[in-house]
Amino acid sequence: MKDQNVWNRRDFIVKPLALAGAAGILGRPDLLLARPPLQPTESSAILKRTLGNTGLTLPVVSMGVMNADVPGLLRRAYELGIRHFDTAAGYQQGRNEEMVGQVIKDLGARDQVAISTKEAVRGGDRDLNTSDGKARFIANTEKSLRRLQMDHVDILYHHAVDSVEAAQNEGPLEALRALKKEGKTRFIGLSTHQTVEVISEVIKLKIFDVVLVTLNYTMAHDEAILGTIERAAKSGIGVIAMKTQAGGTVRPDVHLPNPLPPVSQTALLKWVLSHEFVTTAIPGFSTYEHLAQDFSVAGDLAYTEEEKKFLADKSFAAQAEFCQQCGACREACLKHVEVSTLMRSHMYALQYGNTDMARATLASLPAGKGLDACASCEACSVACRNSVNVARKIRDLKALRRANAFAA
Amino acid sequence: MAFCLRRARWLIVGLVAAACFSPLNPPSGHGASRPSLSEGAQKHLLSFIAEPLPNHAAVQRAPSFYSPDSLYDFMDGGADIYLLYDFQVLLHQDFKSGPADVSVDIFDMGSPEDAFGMYAAERSPNYRFLPIGIEAYRSQGVLNFLQDRYYVKLAGSGTGSDDLLDRFARLLSTRIAGVRSFPSLLEKLPQEHRVRHAEQFSRKDPLGHSFLSPAYIVSYKQGAAESKIVVSVAKDPAEANARREALAKYFSETGKCEAVPSFGAGALKASNSFEGSVIAVARGRYLIVLVHPSSDAAALLDQTARVLR
Repeated sequence: MKDQNVWNRRDFIVKPLALAGAAGILGRPDLLLARPPLQPTESSAILKRTLGNTGLTLPVVSMGVMNADVPGLLRRAYELGIRHFDTAAGYQQGRNEEMVGQVIKDLGARDQVAISTKEAVRGGDRDLNTSDGKARFIANTEKSLRRLQMDHVDILYHHAVDSVEAAQNEGPLEALRALKKEGKTRFIGLSTHQTVEVISEVIKLKIFDVVLVTLNYTMAHDEAILGTIERAAKSGIGVIAMKTQAGGTVRPDVHLPNPLPPVSQTALLKWVLSHEFVTTAIPGFSTYEHLAQDFSVAGDLAYTEEEKKFLADKSFAAQAEFCQQCGACREACLKHVEVSTLMRSHMYALQYGNTDMARATLASLPAGKGLDACASCEACSVACRNSVNVARKIRDLKALRRANAFAA
Repeated sequence: MAFCLRRARWLIVGLVAAACFSPLNPPSGHGASRPSLSEGAQKHLLSFIAEPLPNHAAVQRAPSFYSPDSLYDFMDGGADIYLLYDFQVLLHQDFKSGPADVSVDIFDMGSPEDAFGMYAAERSPNYRFLPIGIEAYRSQGVLNFLQDRYYVKLAGSGTGSDDLLDRFARLLSTRIAGVRSFPSLLEKLPQEHRVRHAEQFSRKDPLGHSFLSPAYIVSYKQGAAESKIVVSVAKDPAEANARREALAKYFSETGKCEAVPSFGAGALKASNSFEGSVIAVARGRYLIVLVHPSSDAAALLDQTARVLR
């Protein structure tokens, strides 16, 4: 058996990422107050919002089913009041859709819930001509509907669209339009991690009803991301948020030497939902405990004192120091060094203990844009807006290079 | 050179130690020493798909590798469950042989248990199973199999791809070698009425309860009645008892829970509206949980306890 009281490599990424949000907001209480959280009409009421122009009204907390393989979790989620369940063809090779379909059928609740699924276009399918691409997308959707035991879904997403070109791909676009026309989906959507570029294109396309976007506390300072999502909402597109706790909820707390308190998860979720342009979030819980914890947020978005304390805890900033790879520091450097790449090399070398990867990352930089350019500076003066101590990390890298740690 | 490397190593140790001042940093040990995406690891994975290949299949583009922090780029939200099973490295490579295309994904899950857990999470008892590796199955242009610490997923399209998938799978199985059996605990559990190809290993959150981790799960079917045996593996008897207490507490809060001495010392019976009914008993370092217990639950519990002794 593996030791449970340790971090795995994923934890190195997601835990600091979750905490980096706290780091980002330090000293910025204005962000906490920038968009005052909605108050529930009754203390025990479930907050609901309308999804863009779709007319669908959903509780602010929904369920991302991707991590759940226990039907009881869906049943409990329904009992508590969750009415939107998000799955995808790719989750557990369709087994996730099968589970969702069976539970909803057993509950007899199809007309009480909004079901979304997603179809991705991957690999060689991206190069298919419009007609073949459309046919492939429709055929895959038909399989999803069979697994779900449903004649339609409420939202069908083009899944994981990672570029403007992919968003413009006529095959999936024609398929989505046809499936909507045939009543196999009520609304069509797009999911992406490339928020600024792809969502800007989605707004222009005027085809999509819904977007599923990554939104969490690590983006507190990113006006480009927040502004783009808000523009989408203002144009009538429904906004659903994913990765709201930057992976925190689904990570095993027992793996942390000093577990994150439950308050961190509710605080991070409330921060996302404090943006009124977000209709609902789809946290991916896999335990009853996390389900109850996350859904408690739907009753009241006001921060508790403990949550405020968590969000404002300055110790997280010093400890997390997570580079978000925003690249803003590049312009701050007089030599325009690729500082974010150096920070990634530092993470590989010192957090992962992987000098091979650190060396390869450093070697990928063109001459004059890497550590070589830092040689003539005694100390780095780049200031990171997210509290990363750039100077110290570059000093570490220089020391490692002097010790031949990056020798091939 | 050796001195330099030693010096570098100590410098890294020093810097890591300095960075580990906070509770947010990982402790040294397992997490810090996990296998990384080194050149050695890449070469090892590439050796599985080195030439000669079936039907003179030709590489279509450069291989790609994904680590835990980049797996999202490959499969988006589908990555989450792989990470729950401590996914280590993925090698992805596309091949072509005449009109047939094959893509090969080799997931190094770090241990045979986790490879089994991930494989089992994606398989369906309804698939067509094949004797390749520990187990393989075919489904709609896909041939997946499990062997050693690897979960191998092959997908094909075009004329002749079924045959090509089969040849690739057999070749990879030969090259991977290593462990070719299911986890031994699963083999010990009662065989009668067992649903074949439905066994699972849950690294985290079995039955939706983190305190039951890790656990093995076997399904049984008698007529229309379906039940499960969940064996939660604790460090020692005290921890197994603590898990039983945690389960009792949870059901007491969400439904009902009572002692059932007829099922043995410390046995409990519990139910709620969303999980149904369970019977649980701690034996040694195991907590045995029967989910939706059948009429012969007492005998099944006794048999399970005996084989685990």
